[in-house]
Amino acid sequence: MRGRAVDLAVALFVLICTLPVVGLFVTSFRDKDQIAASGWWTAFSPVEETRAFRLPDRGEETGVLLGATLTGSVLAGDGRVTGFGITPRAPVAFAPGEVARFSGGGTVTVSADGAFSVSDRSGHAGGRRIYYGARLSPRLTLGNYVTVLGAEGLGRSFLNSAAVAIPSTVIPAVIACFAAYALAWMRFPGRALLVSAVVVLMAVPLQMALIPLLTLYNSAGQAFGFEAKSYVGLWLAHTGFGLPLAIFILRNAMSALPGAMIEAARMDGAGDFVIFSRVVLPLTLPALAGFAVFQFIWTWNDLLVALVFLGPQDDTLVLTGRLLNLLGSHGGDWQLLAAGAFVSIAAPLCVFFALQRYLVRGLLAGVSR
Amino acid sequence: MANSQRVGLTQARAAPIAGGTHRVAVGVRMTALSPWLFLAPALGLLALYLVYPALATLWFALHDRAGQDFVGAANFAWAFHDPGVRRALANNLLWLLVVPATSTALGLLAAALTERLRWGGAARTLILMPVAISFVGAAVVWRFVYDFRPEGAAQTGLLNALVVAFGGTPRAWIALPFWNSFFLMAIVIWVQTGFAMVILAAALRGIGKDTVEAARLDGANGLQIFAWIVVPQIRGTIAVVWIAITLAVLKVFDIVLAMTNGQWNTGVLANLMFDRMFRGGGHLGQGAVIALVLIGLVAPVVFWTLCRARGQGQGR
Amino acid sequence: MMTRLTCAVALMAAMSAPAVAENLIFAPDEDARFDWAGYEAFAASHRLEGERLSIFGPWRGQDRALFENVLAYFRAATGVEAVYASSENYEQQIVIDTQAGSPPDIAILPQPGLIRELAARGFLSPLGAETAGWLRENYAAGESWVGLGSATGPDGITALYALPYRSDLKSLVWYVPDNFADAGYVVPETMEDLKSLTERIAAEGASPWCIGLGSGGATGWPATDWVEEMVLRTQPVEVYDRWVTNALRFDDPAIVAAIEDFGWFARDHAFVDGGATAVATTDFRDSAAGLFAVPPKCYLMHQASFIASFFPEGVELGRDADFFYFPPYADTDLGRPVLGSGTLATITRDGRAARAFIDWLKTPIAHELWMAQTGFLTGFKGANPGAYANETLRRQGEILLNATTFRFDGSDLMPGWIGTGAFWTGMIDYVGGKPAAEVARAIQAEWDNGE
Repeated sequence: MRGRAVDLAVALFVLICTLPVVGLFVTSFRDKDQIAASGWWTAFSPVEETRAFRLPDRGEETGVLLGATLTGSVLAGDGRVTGFGITPRAPVAFAPGEVARFSGGGTVTVSADGAFSVSDRSGHAGGRRIYYGARLSPRLTLGNYVTVLGAEGLGRSFLNSAAVAIPSTVIPAVIACFAAYALAWMRFPGRALLVSAVVVLMAVPLQMALIPLLTLYNSAGQAFGFEAKSYVGLWLAHTGFGLPLAIFILRNAMSALPGAMIEAARMDGAGDFVIFSRVVLPLTLPALAGFAVFQFIWTWNDLLVALVFLGPQDDTLVLTGRLLNLLGSHGGDWQLLAAGAFVSIAAPLCVFFALQRYLVRGLLAGVSR
Repeated sequence: MANSQRVGLTQARAAPIAGGTHRVAVGVRMTALSPWLFLAPALGLLALYLVYPALATLWFALHDRAGQDFVGAANFAWAFHDPGVRRALANNLLWLLVVPATSTALGLLAAALTERLRWGGAARTLILMPVAISFVGAAVVWRFVYDFRPEGAAQTGLLNALVVAFGGTPRAWIALPFWNSFFLMAIVIWVQTGFAMVILAAALRGIGKDTVEAARLDGANGLQIFAWIVVPQIRGTIAVVWIAITLAVLKVFDIVLAMTNGQWNTGVLANLMFDRMFRGGGHLGQGAVIALVLIGLVAPVVFWTLCRARGQGQGR
Repeated sequence: MMTRLTCAVALMAAMSAPAVAENLIFAPDEDARFDWAGYEAFAASHRLEGERLSIFGPWRGQDRALFENVLAYFRAATGVEAVYASSENYEQQIVIDTQAGSPPDIAILPQPGLIRELAARGFLSPLGAETAGWLRENYAAGESWVGLGSATGPDGITALYALPYRSDLKSLVWYVPDNFADAGYVVPETMEDLKSLTERIAAEGASPWCIGLGSGGATGWPATDWVEEMVLRTQPVEVYDRWVTNALRFDDPAIVAAIEDFGWFARDHAFVDGGATAVATTDFRDSAAGLFAVPPKCYLMHQASFIASFFPEGVELGRDADFFYFPPYADTDLGRPVLGSGTLATITRDGRAARAFIDWLKTPIAHELWMAQTGFLTGFKGANPGAYANETLRRQGEILLNATTFRFDGSDLMPGWIGTGAFWTGMIDYVGGKPAAEVARAIQAEWDNGE
């Protein structure tokens, strides 16, 4: 009985944590009108919609002659008409099959399958709007993904994000390994001070670093003739911002190794580089992987640093930036927002599920002391 | 890997623990230069990307909007009087009170509960998942939760749909005075709970079974055991989780930018700094002062961490 | 390791490089609406093969595509490799970039206040007396445009820094003619009529207005338009001019009254779709959908000309949606004031290509090509009004060309931290229920404190 209660509690926990993401996932396959009409949890049941339909104009141009009976269908896809009307304030006043009379003359009827028929000798009905309520079968489509990946340039941005995140993960990991080893196992004056400094630097808010750094990049770029905004500059910036955490995690992991082992290696005549690469590094790999997962997720999800150091141009815009642009220019196109958001979180989620073992170890290494 | 460890340990056991003379010998063999070779790339980058900007910020704080003329303490005076700064500071403190505590508590709860289940591993994976989602992505995800439609219309936001289903009136959650900050905090808590849970779960696993067993024999119930036996043993880990989340919360920026951009009194310092620095021509001096306030808030946290690190002794 | 990564990145970049083939949407020399002769002349005198030009502007989404279509002709005429970029937070981005010394070549900005700030810090290049003279001659209300684009540089000399390109008309109320006809409403000619129409619609149990102030990082701006319209309709234009420079305090009774006049519409639960609560949280782009809902969620929406870009797909302007001029009070003698806004092009990094682009904006065809698409109005008298894509746009262009009192969006003229900061936030507070006087006092306090 008590076991059942725990099961339920955990299930509730999981539900609350995952439900918003499930909602996003379902929404990304829905049709724009249906998103606005009903919640995502109703995505698999039919949707009731009320719409306007403009009858074709009469005249020579449209090929519809005066006096003839106008026919056609108000529905473009699957669905059943539940009612129709001739004024916007009473859009479903008539049941399907009933006949409504326009104020200026002429009659219209709409049947349940959407077919309408207008008979009108006076010519008043042409070009008028009729209104109908319909129960539309749920429309689920991959079209949203096609749109965002193609026309909205998300595919391109996906590559940009990868080009940013992968080197921005590898470089700090490599550099931090060396530094962490020195701070954990080499003795020199000022070591304790440096360790403290690393902790302090973890707290610096990076927004304030943007202008000083970009200014520096520009003057250096002018002096030595390179582009101020480049992938290399961004990689180094991410490296700089990520280093304190990397050093902190790796140093903790390294100094947790048994000291006798290092001493023994030294006694055998191994130099620092050998001890580092043959003894310490292999044993620190889980923590290293943990940091890498962390840093990858962080750099992939970063918006601000990439926007400043790489710029908003089409060919360099990263995924988060593209998504924010979508939020602006398509504020009402929720189906595109949902698909775009899902594309942007897909890569970190894959990395996360594949490597979560390491992420956990990395987190533990970072705080276990 | 396991192999190399075994070898290493065997060697360590074989070799007598080094005495003082050996240490000196090792020290002499090391060149004084080599630690700095290991450190150089990291120190160079840290100096360039963090220390230099921090100094530049200090300099900007004493200069005018364009960063040209020296203005003394004028920007500090501005920050002291500005209602926006005060509001953002108050919001930041609210965040600091709520988010680390809630995330840690929920993380602890999740850790304790999943520990007892056969499917606990899978549950933990799902609870940890939000860690991987960007704040911009999270903002889109949560729009579908907080969306508001006028009363009578079909609610497309999950929260309002629930409220209406239980007979309430729909609310515009992110514009509700005062409470809207909590709806933003919920998003960050959503992200951080998994983080807290994973670390606390590992700490729970490290607890000696005998203490729990002894308490049980003394007649303590589950809740008492948890509160009086288990929690004190992982106090250190709880503190670390708390600190880590506190640091993350101080830097909260993206989620506010994407959800409200600081409107409806939800602004926090990092957003205000960004706004002051860059919006409408920007004011470098005022932005820099807010950055310094932010660093000032971080200082006690960092100080505490340092004291703790020193207490544990780091000389090896 | 590094080199391999660099190679991989370069390879990826190369694979996904966009097609460079130019795509000219109107075949040259075919359509008589366009000034092809001027185009040929411009092309002949501006050959700049191999030069590069980066343009940063506010247009995203559909507008961006429309501008790219125009830019294609500039590329074809000059051979310049011109690249356009924008971002959701472009106001912040341009400050970061200019401040740090890595600006684009051309920045197109909708805020004269921001332009003046950038010019004062020396980040912009003056466009020259010749361009100023051209603007004065060739634009409707040219003198006011010159004033708008002029700023004082770091050297203390006042000069023209910005050339208008694309205007928007704010004083419009949108409606659906079918819904009006069905309910028997007529287009109001005076503010009094508009108010009684509002009351009538509410009395009939419907919501008269759709008002949405949401706009991501710029949430609140649509309300500033309302207040400016009300100032122009209750006070002489001199009051407006003194207000935007703070010669008249923000908490002056005249301004507070204008805010309350806006509140008459927006703070009455019966007058707005969703009630006053929905006003601040509804995105302005979403609010347009209420007009087209069946049954209608609202009958009226005050919004600038560019809102047509956000109408649902398939809406035919002039038939499915139309506009009328936001009318003045009949019992005042203030004429028919027009509120507008626009984007202005500035040179953030001088060069031959940048100068050529400014020259390009002085050709009729640079305007006509966008007029013939959608969402573009211009006060340039040399552009052929026949080029407008439809009757609706042509009528809007006419309002612009014939404006007696034309005033630029005041929030864009105020200093950035007011016009794109405190004013926005204040309006959100106001529709949230704070008294107008208190809101105005708070904005004035920020103005005093920020100086």
